[in-house]
Amino acid sequence: MNRREALKIGALSVAAAATMGTITGCNEGAKPASAPAAGKKLCKHKVVVIGGGFGGLTVAKELKKRDSTFDVLVIEKNDTFMSCPFSNTYLGKLEGVNLGTFVHDYAQPVEANGYGMLHAEVTSIDRAAKQIHTTKGVVEYEILVMSPGIGYDYKGQFPNWDDEKIKHVQRVAPGALIPGKEHIILERQLVDMDDGNVVITVPSDGKYRCPPAPFERASMIAAYMKKEGIEGKVIILNATNKVSKGAAFKESWKDLYGDRVEHIDFAKIQDVDPVSKTVTYHIADEMEDKGYKVKTLKYSVLNLIPNNISNPVIEMSGVETTTDSFKRVVMNGCSFQTKTDKDIYAVGDVIAHTVPPSGQTANWTGKQCALEIANRLHKKAFELPVKKSTIKVGNVCYSMVSDNPEEAIMVTHDFSFSEEKNIIVSAGNVPKSPSGKYRSSGTAKATRDWYGGIMRDLFS
Amino acid sequence: MDRRNFLRVVGATGALVAISPSTISGRLYASTGLYESYERVQLIDAQGSPIKLTDLKKETNYVFNYPYVATPTILLDLEDTTAKDVRLKSEYGEEYIWKGGVGEGRTVVAYSAICSHQLAHPTPDDSFLQYVQKDKKTMACDHGGVMVCSSHLSSFEAKEGCKNISGPASEPLASIVLEIADDDTIYAVGVLGPDKFHEYFKAFKPEFKKYYEGRRKAKKKVKTSATMVELSQYTKEIIQY
Repeated sequence: MNRREALKIGALSVAAAATMGTITGCNEGAKPASAPAAGKKLCKHKVVVIGGGFGGLTVAKELKKRDSTFDVLVIEKNDTFMSCPFSNTYLGKLEGVNLGTFVHDYAQPVEANGYGMLHAEVTSIDRAAKQIHTTKGVVEYEILVMSPGIGYDYKGQFPNWDDEKIKHVQRVAPGALIPGKEHIILERQLVDMDDGNVVITVPSDGKYRCPPAPFERASMIAAYMKKEGIEGKVIILNATNKVSKGAAFKESWKDLYGDRVEHIDFAKIQDVDPVSKTVTYHIADEMEDKGYKVKTLKYSVLNLIPNNISNPVIEMSGVETTTDSFKRVVMNGCSFQTKTDKDIYAVGDVIAHTVPPSGQTANWTGKQCALEIANRLHKKAFELPVKKSTIKVGNVCYSMVSDNPEEAIMVTHDFSFSEEKNIIVSAGNVPKSPSGKYRSSGTAKATRDWYGGIMRDLFS
Repeated sequence: MDRRNFLRVVGATGALVAISPSTISGRLYASTGLYESYERVQLIDAQGSPIKLTDLKKETNYVFNYPYVATPTILLDLEDTTAKDVRLKSEYGEEYIWKGGVGEGRTVVAYSAICSHQLAHPTPDDSFLQYVQKDKKTMACDHGGVMVCSSHLSSFEAKEGCKNISGPASEPLASIVLEIADDDTIYAVGVLGPDKFHEYFKAFKPEFKKYYEGRRKAKKKVKTSATMVELSQYTKEIIQY
């Protein structure tokens, strides 16, 4: 089957996360037909999981594997899955990578694992009544697992932008950290461009999904431009001076792309003019009192990655969140239960444990959370293994940095529980390959193998 | 060496001598869950001569495909005596007992080389899964003498039935049960532990087409003999962190 065609005819009805309350930017009023449906009681389930991504699918699958009698429902707004991890290789046009590499149907995992799935968008959560209101009706739960991923905080980052402007920027300079149409827009723009610069902006505010993503993306776009003979640079406007796997990325850029990749520290985006394709920014020293000069930059393609925030579902649930702008869910100590409500759990991007927000970690936290819930339902005492001892290499995260030959870099994280902070914390390590360089072709093979493995885990 | 031909030899089914599936091991493991006997298959070298225990180099990864044409097994002479009667558990709590190595010093072991985590395995192009010698360390494990999967950095204790000891794997690697004949020749007779064959055959259809002329042929059981070579001859690239 040609998935590209399928996608064109709308198999992928991606509502770009309920960012700032807008859904698709067309008719925002409820459709007459959906008004009565939204209030209708649909069903009640023992465990309801919000979000069918890396975290949510893992929780659902693991619960069913532990005990096939568990009654589990996943609520997912998209009817087709698309992966964010590994998707930068699509922008790099690596061999054999196409949309089909990232797009999966939900039919297979539902069939194979026996959980239910409702395709609907969550509109509110009533914790007192243990009800989830969705665009298709009301779902009741005994235990709720929230794995809704991220939203974008354009409003917080650009207070002067109105909704119209935000929508316009999302259309022409998408963030592409939430899988779906944004990735497709960005790929089209890169394929369409002649010579010119590609600008990638890196958020300033604390946590964002997949810390190496902007830098891997810069590497893959540079690889693509080099292959195509496109004249221009990839310019990274980083709001801080932090680069995940920094030494490894910088070594790779210098060796492979020379001045084709330019990384600018402390570049604070002020505004974007999508018409003249100009971005204005200033360099903010860590000492903000030095004053600054406004700089402008022309671009052909802009990947504006806005500040991230917990998906609005978290706010709907009313559970306690951290005071930082991301609003991470406060957890109940060494657990995936929320501090606020013993019947609500959370995994993936949104948790306050300081494990990196990656696909692999969503998978790990999903498995741990399922263990907790399964033991609870079986009325058995249970403590997470991480409470007793450090989990070595709980996370391994690869970033592809070149093509011809394909090479990648990696980071691993050990997880442990900090009594003092009362959260699970992580310690990272970026290893060099035997050649003395950070990148290697073996790691690139591992990247592909990792992705294949985790897709098999979720979808078969 | 022409790997395609070598692999075809592995799958050759010219049953010269009809040998019934082993009854000795079948009885031995009857008390233990998760044991399945397959064809009794003799290990031979690339020239077709039977391999003897005394031919094995210490701490060297040897590969042969068993029990199916496309399922790789790693055989090792660990040099040290293995543990005995190790109690192991599948991810979902089924228990089984791994009896230990074979040969005079109980040093020879064989494991299904399909990672119990997400099915990484040696192929003619590359291998993420292999034994790491005692004096070596990897990112996956702070000591050697273990099987390591460098796809997601899981490690397994080779002298204790390949019990998962670090990384994301949540169950052991399945063991291939060996029998040694009076003349020191080696036979594979069955599989013990949580094998991943079903998931494996589901997952790698394009690969089977590339290396084995399709999945139907890949799924055939190995009969009579299996060619065993060193991992460095089996695969172009060994990947290890």
